[in-house]
Amino acid sequence: MKQFTYKVTDELGIHARPAGLLVKEAAKFQSSIKIKNGTKEADAKRLLNVMTLAVKQGNTVTVAADGADEADAVKTLEAFFKANL
Amino acid sequence: MGLFDGLFKKKEDGIIIGSPADGECISISKVNDPTFAEEILGKGIAVIPQSDKVAAPADGIVTMVFPTGHAFTMETKDGVELLVHIGIDTVKLEGKFFTKKVSDGTQVKKGDLIIEADFDQIKAAGYDTTIPVVVCNTADFADVQSVAEGTVTTAQDVIKIQK
Repeated sequence: MKQFTYKVTDELGIHARPAGLLVKEAAKFQSSIKIKNGTKEADAKRLLNVMTLAVKQGNTVTVAADGADEADAVKTLEAFFKANL
Repeated sequence: MGLFDGLFKKKEDGIIIGSPADGECISISKVNDPTFAEEILGKGIAVIPQSDKVAAPADGIVTMVFPTGHAFTMETKDGVELLVHIGIDTVKLEGKFFTKKVSDGTQVKKGDLIIEADFDQIKAAGYDTTIPVVVCNTADFADVQSVAEGTVTTAQDVIKIQK
């Protein structure tokens, strides 16, 4: 398993649009990908799950990938978070 | 709606999603936001509302009402994951003009009031009031199609889903 943490700087947090784009990125990988915000955890490939995390500006999330392409997944998603959130 | 409507729907074996509001139903491709128009969030429809009441499009559980009241998510009794997004870019209103009528986890019936939105004020603030309704787990179904165009009333059939 590989993971990274990221502190969300976008003032609107992960609302519908970034959640949708994030799910699209995550779906490109075979690995199972989880996002954690505090005590809540979501499957990064399921939009409703990701939105239910209600990630706000200033929250630190942990993204963990587990599977054959976990290294690529973590690299791509970390770049996505930096660029969009 | 009579007894036979229910019977016919069962026979067709499709899942029906209703309109979240009175208004005009349009193709989601016409929504002025590529996130919805390009179906990044999933397939669906959109309604240009003509009243301030936004209702549940199906029976199920309201999984989340956004703290800002500009959107809510639902899981229907048939396992359809829905996002009802009230207006375009309205996350930026930070809750202004939206009144939440239910809390997260509430069991609702199709047509139950979920959010009241002051669309006159939202329009005056410069926002498009179109309400996209998206099937977030589109990939879990064989087909998701729009079955309405033009004037619709709350709970009227707008999306048909095949398992």
